[in-house]
Amino acid sequence: MLTSDDVEAIILGALGALNAGRDPDDQIPASPKTALFGVDAALDSLGFVSLVTDVETSLNVDHGLDINLIDERAMSRPQSPYETVATLRDYIVELIQAGS
Amino acid sequence: MTPDAPKYADRVVVVTGASRGLGRLLADYFLGQGAQVIGVSRGETDITHSGYEHHICDITDDRAVRDLFTAIARSHGRVDIVINNAAVLTSIHAMLMPAARAEEMVRTNLLGTLFVAREAAKVMRRRSYGRIIGIGSMASTLEPIGDSVYAATKSASMTMAGVLAREFAGYGITVNTVAVTALETDMLRQLPRDKVSAVVANLILPRFATPDDVFNVVDFLASARSSYITAQTVFLGGVHA
Repeated sequence: MLTSDDVEAIILGALGALNAGRDPDDQIPASPKTALFGVDAALDSLGFVSLVTDVETSLNVDHGLDINLIDERAMSRPQSPYETVATLRDYIVELIQAGS
Repeated sequence: MTPDAPKYADRVVVVTGASRGLGRLLADYFLGQGAQVIGVSRGETDITHSGYEHHICDITDDRAVRDLFTAIARSHGRVDIVINNAAVLTSIHAMLMPAARAEEMVRTNLLGTLFVAREAAKVMRRRSYGRIIGIGSMASTLEPIGDSVYAATKSASMTMAGVLAREFAGYGITVNTVAVTALETDMLRQLPRDKVSAVVANLILPRFATPDDVFNVVDFLASARSSYITAQTVFLGGVHA
């Protein structure tokens, strides 16, 4: 089973892939505190879509999981799971532990 | 590439509604052109070609479509072309339209099309390449009697394709539509022949479409060279918006 560190590495890897296509002076900080969604987000809307899609696809295709990161369960939470790398990581771990 | 070389020798092509009608014709066409074809329908198929793989999936089932494309990504690693063909048609005067039939058309022709495009795009994004081709209809502009909901869903899916084209453009994915006229298929045979013939007689090019008319446009839209063609609907037979 993927650990919290594994999941964080997948997210940071996806951020790294996004950074590879960005200008050197427009790099997204890659840390657990990086804001992904909301007023302080380091990502624009397309970047957010790309990140979530890449992470979800990696979990499902590369790691054999069955994870849906964008569904009613996620979108109706009082605190968005997409706020930061850390909250997304924790949400994914929660889904994995629950068998999604 | 020589003129006779298969056009799609290294391509993975997904065709929805592949068990019959235009979907079946397109599946056979892509197989003949060397593609690895993944056919999708709600029922079984009798296609036995070595390059063919069939998946039973109801495209109105969001979860099933997600699982389908995850399975394809795991086994093939890629999807190059999607033919978003699956559709249902009930042609009946609006005053007699059963709600269940109307809802089925919206679910299949619009939402199912979205689910397929959405999941295909996630797989295509990994290679920054994809061609999503919807099958539209002359009904969306000719507005024939009896086709109120069908025509509306086809118009809606073409509008949706324009938005998807914009959303997917940054990922190297194009989204286009070929809007077909009357073609001899199971779906067409549901309609009164005199009604269809009257519609065809009023086309700028007043004849039934042939499968090759469709293949010709699909080839154009599916081509790697068509990377600068997106959000377009190509009508057959001189139909125009």
